[in-house]
Amino acid sequence: MSTSPILLIEDEPSVTAFLRAALERRGYAVEDASSGAEGLEKLGDREYSGVISDIRMPGSVNGAEVHAWIQLNRPELCTRIILISGDTANSDTQQLLKQSGTPCIEKPFRVQQLLTVVEKTFGKP
Amino acid sequence: MKTSASRSPLHAADELMELVVDAAHSRNLPAFLERFAQRATRMLDARWGGVMVFRGRETDLYQAQADADASDLQAAQQAKLIRLGRETRADAETLAVSFDPPLVSGGAEHKDGQFADVTFVPITASDEESLGCLCLIRRKGTPSPGEKHLLHALASHAALSLENFRRFSQLERSKRQWVEDIDAISDYIVVHDRSFRIVRTNRSLASHLGVPPAALVGDPMSSLRQIAETRSEIPCPFCRDTQQAREEYIVASPERIFLVSTSRTPGVSDDDTRTIHVLKDMTDRREAERRYRELFDSIQEGLFFATPEGRFLDVNDAMVRMLGYESREELLRADVSTHLYPIAAERERFFTALARRGVLRNYEETLRRKDGTLLHTLQNITAVRDASGKIIQIRGLMLDVTEQRTFQSQLQRERDFNQKILNTTQSMILVLDTAGLISYANRRAFESGYREDELIGHRLVDWVEAAQREDFEAALETTAHGQQVENLELRVRRSDASMGHFSISLSPMRDEQGAVNSVVVVMTDITDAVLLQAKLAHSEKMATIGRLVSGVAHEVNNPLAAILGFTDLLLENPAIPDNAREDLQIILHETQRTKDIVQDLLSFARQRPVQRELVHVNAVLRQTIKLRSYDFASHGVEVLEEFDEHLAHALGDSQQLQQVFLNILNNAYDAVQEVGQRGRIAIRTSRQGSNIEIAITDNGTGVTDTERIFDPFYTTKQGNKGTGLGLSICYGIVRAHGGEILCRNNENGPGSTFIVRVPVATEAATAAAIAKEAGR
Repeated sequence: MSTSPILLIEDEPSVTAFLRAALERRGYAVEDASSGAEGLEKLGDREYSGVISDIRMPGSVNGAEVHAWIQLNRPELCTRIILISGDTANSDTQQLLKQSGTPCIEKPFRVQQLLTVVEKTFGKP
Repeated sequence: MKTSASRSPLHAADELMELVVDAAHSRNLPAFLERFAQRATRMLDARWGGVMVFRGRETDLYQAQADADASDLQAAQQAKLIRLGRETRADAETLAVSFDPPLVSGGAEHKDGQFADVTFVPITASDEESLGCLCLIRRKGTPSPGEKHLLHALASHAALSLENFRRFSQLERSKRQWVEDIDAISDYIVVHDRSFRIVRTNRSLASHLGVPPAALVGDPMSSLRQIAETRSEIPCPFCRDTQQAREEYIVASPERIFLVSTSRTPGVSDDDTRTIHVLKDMTDRREAERRYRELFDSIQEGLFFATPEGRFLDVNDAMVRMLGYESREELLRADVSTHLYPIAAERERFFTALARRGVLRNYEETLRRKDGTLLHTLQNITAVRDASGKIIQIRGLMLDVTEQRTFQSQLQRERDFNQKILNTTQSMILVLDTAGLISYANRRAFESGYREDELIGHRLVDWVEAAQREDFEAALETTAHGQQVENLELRVRRSDASMGHFSISLSPMRDEQGAVNSVVVVMTDITDAVLLQAKLAHSEKMATIGRLVSGVAHEVNNPLAAILGFTDLLLENPAIPDNAREDLQIILHETQRTKDIVQDLLSFARQRPVQRELVHVNAVLRQTIKLRSYDFASHGVEVLEEFDEHLAHALGDSQQLQQVFLNILNNAYDAVQEVGQRGRIAIRTSRQGSNIEIAITDNGTGVTDTERIFDPFYTTKQGNKGTGLGLSICYGIVRAHGGEILCRNNENGPGSTFIVRVPVATEAATAAAIAKEAGR
């Protein structure tokens, strides 16, 4: 069982707060980054058991780029990414999801929806 | 008794000799003939003698002067003798003539003295012409042979003298006549000899100098220099070359111009030469010629004389100018006929026409100027023929009508151009009289379907939608006052009774006095343009709304996620009391509803990619109807299917299309539910060009605003019947299919009609879709 935390990359504080609460209640360790750039920085510093990233974020690095960076630099995390989207109908998003097979949760979502995907991807804490 | 002849034959010979001398010197015929009669009387010892001279029917009688025993005959007696004398033909015929009254003395041989013996001797010319008769009244009996001989001799002399006299008088007469003739000539005539002295002048010349003709004879010719001054060395002002037998030249004085014709003939003697000058005063003729030339040259029309071969003999300045030559000489010098006719056959045509008719009036011909440009002319030509009828000269007058022709052809071009515009324009062009009645309609008007009897003579205003007739009448009134009305947009009834949206311009047309006498109306059916514009505006609006909605939806999703998430977490908390839990359930429910709205908004704003597959529209519709058939049946809503069973396939996403149809059907169902009467929904499919058209008509409440019905959240429905985005989503789907969706209220009856048009699958698309199907 990994003791490494899950890295949560999300620019919206209320969403971050909800995700952290929901995941920690289930026993996951969570570390968060409020932007894509910060997320990549943290990924360079230490080990994570998985990454949950919003797709659409302000700043220089968005979810798709985080996903691409992991593919290149942290291949062991390739299958341990969950994306969160506000609009899966977006054609870029659709393409990304279709190509990579990366799981995605559509906002807004129920707690149970989130946990099902997380347990399936990262396993139980 | 002795006869006078026998009495003195020698005396008779003397008398005859004297007679010859007398005849030779006499110039006075009557006196001579009287002397002759006297001499004959004396020689033959007659009582009375006379000579008759026949002049045609007249007879002149010359009697011997009466001596002592003879007396002059009375008129009656003379008349009798003349009658007998004219009848006498025989030689020396002696007749016993009775006189009444009787001769006074003598005649003793005849009783009462009534009778006397009269001898008649005819005087005959050498050509046997009877000239007259010598008549003697004898004292006794017939003449003796000697006397007869003497009588013959006398008659011969008389004949000779008469003939001479006649010739002489003829000569005199002709000489006098010649002088008269010469004098009658108005030309000046002067004859001079070798030493230049005047031999003769005619009266005209003399009177010009103010003297009688004879006064000039003998004067030197130099005295005539006053008539015409010449610088000739020769003493005669009119001689140039004395060696020439004939000369002719012009001599001019300051006042007069003479044509001098000179002939030189040998004179009376061999060493003399007569020079005859005839001076013809040409001043007037010259003046006439000068005037003619001036007219010839100053006239604006081209004048020409030409040979039948086409070479110019004379042309005026206007002609030179017209043809673009430098000078008359250049034009006359050049053989221009080949250059002049751009088409050689034209000259042939011209000459043939001229030869046939002799005169060509207003003959139109195109000639070529020196510089090659074309000259349009109008000519009046006359052919001058010789005695055999052959054309020897062509005379003509030429007008330059190039400008008129150019103007005319320009006018023609303009007219053609206008006609073409009138006939090919996509606008209807009508002319109305001031009463608003149509007097002209262009081809387009008839092509639009209007019949002539519907238009001509009818009021255009009757075609305008009733509510807008006032506007049209006002515009017509404005135009009648001379002002243009542009782009008046009115609804006008088309020939097929449908109403069209027309842009109408009215322009006044004025007569020569400037008064408006008619109105030109240009009408353009802009229905399609108006619709297109409306569609464009609508789709632009929808796109803007889409962008706005998309942005809002995204922003709403984040807080919504937090709300929904925390509500869930709260509900998981066992410490939450039951009543709070119920409230949380409401929050959860409403959040869920908000989520649905946002989802709908996003699906309207951002189209899902359309699946490209062959869609059987009728089948999709039937399937959709089936979904709601229970509701329709249980609420007594009748559904009519008017499907085109041979409808082509559409290319698209049947799921999405079903969503569209379902949405419209729901809408229709709600609409018919609201009105009390039995609901009816008619669904008709048909092919319209390259589209498949699905029309869904209900007899419900109708739509308040057919334009805004596709706007998000535009709804008239009560309560929680929907998100207000259904038709917006339909709009988005149909647009993504490359089709269109629109709504209109029914014109004849309640309710509204939704029309969906989606493109028919092209052959290539159909083939590709079938291949894909097969490969699956």
